[in-house]
Amino acid sequence: MIPFDFAYYRPETVDEAWGCYFNLVSANKKPLYYAGGTEIISMARVNSSVFDAVIDLKGIPACHQLTLQDGAFIIGSGQTLTRIAEFGAYPLLSQTVKRIADHTIQGQITIGGNLAGTVKYREAALPLMISNCRVKIMTRDGLLEMPFLQIFDGRLRLKEGEFLVSLTIDENDLQLPYNHVKKTKMAKIDYPLITLAAMKKGPEIKAAMTGYGDKPLLLPADMLNNDSLPPAERITNMIKLLRDDCKSDLSGSKEYKEFVLQGILEQLFKNFAEGS
Amino acid sequence: MESQLGKDTVRKEARDKVTGAAKYTNDLADAPMRHAKLLTSSHAHARIVAIDTSKASAMPGVRSVITAQDSHLLCGSMLRDRPPLADGKVRYYGEPVAMVVADEEQQAQAAAGKIQVTYEPLPVVNSIAEAIKANPVIVHEQLMSYTKMEQEVYPLPGTNICHRQKISTGNLPKGWADSETVIEGSFTLPQSDHGAMETRAARCIIMPDGRVMIKSSSQAPYSVKEEISAYFNIPAGKIIVQVPLVGGGFGGKTAAQLEVLAVIAARAVQGQWINLVNSREEDLVSSPSHLGLAATIKMGAAKDGKIMAAAMTFYIDSGAYAEISPKLAKAIAVECTGPYNIPNLQCDCCSVYTNHPYAISFRGFGHEALAFCLERMVDKLAFALNMDPFQVRLINAVRPGDLKPTQEKTTLSNTGDIRQCLEKLRTLINWDEGTPIKEANNLIRAKGIACLIKTSDTPTDAGAAVILTFNSDGSINLNCGAVEIGPAMKTTAAQILAERMKMSLEDIHVQLTVDTASSPYYWKTVASMTTYIIGRAVLNAADDALGQLLNLAAIALHCPPEDLDFKDKIVFVKHDPTLYIAFKDLVKGYQFANGNTIKGPLVGRGSFVMSRLRPLDEATGKGKAGSSWTVGAQAVEIEYDPQQHTYRPLKAVTVIDAGKVLNPKTAKGVVMGGMCMGLGLGMNEEFVYDPYGIVANTSFRTYKMLRYGETPNYLVEFVETPQIDAPYGARGIGEHGIIAIPVALANAIASAAQIDVNRLPITPEYIWREKTRA
Repeated sequence: MIPFDFAYYRPETVDEAWGCYFNLVSANKKPLYYAGGTEIISMARVNSSVFDAVIDLKGIPACHQLTLQDGAFIIGSGQTLTRIAEFGAYPLLSQTVKRIADHTIQGQITIGGNLAGTVKYREAALPLMISNCRVKIMTRDGLLEMPFLQIFDGRLRLKEGEFLVSLTIDENDLQLPYNHVKKTKMAKIDYPLITLAAMKKGPEIKAAMTGYGDKPLLLPADMLNNDSLPPAERITNMIKLLRDDCKSDLSGSKEYKEFVLQGILEQLFKNFAEGS
Repeated sequence: MESQLGKDTVRKEARDKVTGAAKYTNDLADAPMRHAKLLTSSHAHARIVAIDTSKASAMPGVRSVITAQDSHLLCGSMLRDRPPLADGKVRYYGEPVAMVVADEEQQAQAAAGKIQVTYEPLPVVNSIAEAIKANPVIVHEQLMSYTKMEQEVYPLPGTNICHRQKISTGNLPKGWADSETVIEGSFTLPQSDHGAMETRAARCIIMPDGRVMIKSSSQAPYSVKEEISAYFNIPAGKIIVQVPLVGGGFGGKTAAQLEVLAVIAARAVQGQWINLVNSREEDLVSSPSHLGLAATIKMGAAKDGKIMAAAMTFYIDSGAYAEISPKLAKAIAVECTGPYNIPNLQCDCCSVYTNHPYAISFRGFGHEALAFCLERMVDKLAFALNMDPFQVRLINAVRPGDLKPTQEKTTLSNTGDIRQCLEKLRTLINWDEGTPIKEANNLIRAKGIACLIKTSDTPTDAGAAVILTFNSDGSINLNCGAVEIGPAMKTTAAQILAERMKMSLEDIHVQLTVDTASSPYYWKTVASMTTYIIGRAVLNAADDALGQLLNLAAIALHCPPEDLDFKDKIVFVKHDPTLYIAFKDLVKGYQFANGNTIKGPLVGRGSFVMSRLRPLDEATGKGKAGSSWTVGAQAVEIEYDPQQHTYRPLKAVTVIDAGKVLNPKTAKGVVMGGMCMGLGLGMNEEFVYDPYGIVANTSFRTYKMLRYGETPNYLVEFVETPQIDAPYGARGIGEHGIIAIPVALANAIASAAQIDVNRLPITPEYIWREKTRA
């Protein structure tokens, strides 16, 4: 139960949503953009999030795209994880989102919510961080398009009132050899101890992971692909470099995470070596 | 008529449950209804400096804001040490501090958020070790002044120990002298949650004449009545407790907590219903939990594997309040040898206060914690002796004539046959193929086994009554005080009645809800004792009704009652069955042709109380804690990855001596449910505390229970050694599936990873730590 009243808006265009947001702000109200609601509802019921209004973005067609066109896979921010996984255009993304929460919740969580929410893992970001991905953001100046990594550094760097409209992934990146590993404390369905997504584009491996620290992070590409060193040494170097990023939490201690990452990376190199 | 026992029987409430027609406490429509919400403590141990309720009181819809200042009261079913709302200080994170009553639920919750409490943090007792160290922080300064609700509570002044139970048998120095191998082990188990699907809920209204009506998701409506009567000094007859179906109890719904708060709230708004329902977060930490444990065991054995001596110390983390934990200490003490014969023994079992959520009964009643320590020791002993763990168990398993730790004599009837269980288990788990086994894919397959035993630990006067009334079609209404918490106990009672009355189960109608004003007394729906206690009362009630039916039929049929027999709702003359009369023509009295009628409507009544139980001697533990035991053997098979230290359970097996299986599918289901909970304790479940005693995992996002997809293949089989004094020989099996599963898993992990497992849950990180430490 949510112990306070709030207003619900369902705009039909991005401009309407933008206007709605700032109308509320100027009336001294606190609005939140809303899509699946899984995080907003669960935080509101324990008073961790308090607001006056939600603006539901699911009624905006641009936030609802799910299509392969013009050489790209376009995903509206309001698409649910289930729909994205079932659409299947980007197998690495499908596999990643199918391991977020459980099947019931996947039908509710949207990709925009997973990226923009406060839960630190943001697993859906991993495949986007390592592919040629661009985003459309609704801003003061209208819709802006930019590379995903320009606005996402572990979390979406949105300014007040801005929201994610859609994601566009270059179709050349959709079917590359990939690896997805999710390790948890114990239970299959849990927050990640470490989730790692990787792909191999030509000779180059790209990888991103979450759970290791406070936010999703890219593995250093230069070290990952430093062919002058054997994989074991590259792994040691990367773990050393990331030592300060590694954080203990309920899922596991820092030292254990380093051990688990080592195993994941050993397997990763092996898999990609076998694949090529 | 063919026996109806031993056949798969659909439970009486099945259709209501699967269609959603079944009603639980919070589904009931009561009016006018107000809502109560709690403000709970954000500290584990802190002095309450001030509580400012002014803002909350001014919120819309608010009727009352209540703190301990409004009702200084101490509660507790054994020792009255717990204020329903924290009084002066808080002793655990999540403890109720204040309560708001408002017209709407959201108004109450919004106002609860506006109560301002000023705390002065106190040093926290965050573990058993901190509770029992020299000069500890004291959780209860007034320990010795508390009122005892039961005699068997022995607190130690100036300590955090609220109860100590000792067991001493044989001659320990001789036992050590006879031992060639002596091993030691220390174990710790975390507190955890019951995780019942239905969170606890209570309703209360105080009627104009002072009657107190309570509706509650309780396993113990009669003790709620008695506790409320004692706490508020209200005559028991003026308190009525009603319990509809309960969505899982697992022991967590056995003590009055929300009921007391609901009464306090109802007094603030006379003549209106109060609804008080736990959120999941409150149900996890504010309401009582599963005990934690720390134990040290020293065990000696002769060369042939015979255990000669054991010295054991157990400390129960009972959390901030004693509640039932003195009885948990007793339960662990009386069963400390497990299903084994240990001739020379010393056991010391204490309940200690900490600043953790307080403990209450949990499926297994401490036996699951005891079994973990003891059955790890048996495996360690087998390892030290270089013997097969199976053989060591077989060698030491109790035999008829052996004495229990309480110096009670073992018989086949009172204990069952652990050897048969073990032998059956050996085949089902394919023990003889050995463990661990290296698989082709670099994985290791391993098995662990363990035994279980449990008695009831009931009070010496635990009893029940049953009332049978009859319908005009000759069918029977069965009214008893057992709460339907899930394992189909009402159906079991109906089966026992149908069998005795030689009539169809379809003609037995059970009253699913319990109402203390009209349902006859039953101590509590706990301890796997319903089949025994209610079952015996049902048999007595059936005999009472049959006696009346036969006597009346004798008049109707003009023959002596001893010439009569009955079946299928008909009484007939044995030597000429064409002479008969139907139950339906007897149950409202017998009417002669001229209209004259004799005897009135038929009522069958029966009661039963536990016999020959007696309290334990304080120094030696000599006594009788239960009338019988249930034994069994369990195994878990796992697949382990020696590189990553991850594992998954492949198979779990249970063989229980059930005495007589009354309803096979239900019996298997109940045991499997226990096994699933056991794996949860083994793999996932624990409260995690930060350094200040704050529980870090208060929702199912982070408090992980086993999911359906993670469960292994379950095998459940039974041995049937009748318990002669039990209804049709049936022993209690409600809790037992859980007991030895966590330790069977631990034994399997120990075998697979070649480590000593001395705690739960067993996470890959724990295995990794043990491996890297070695």
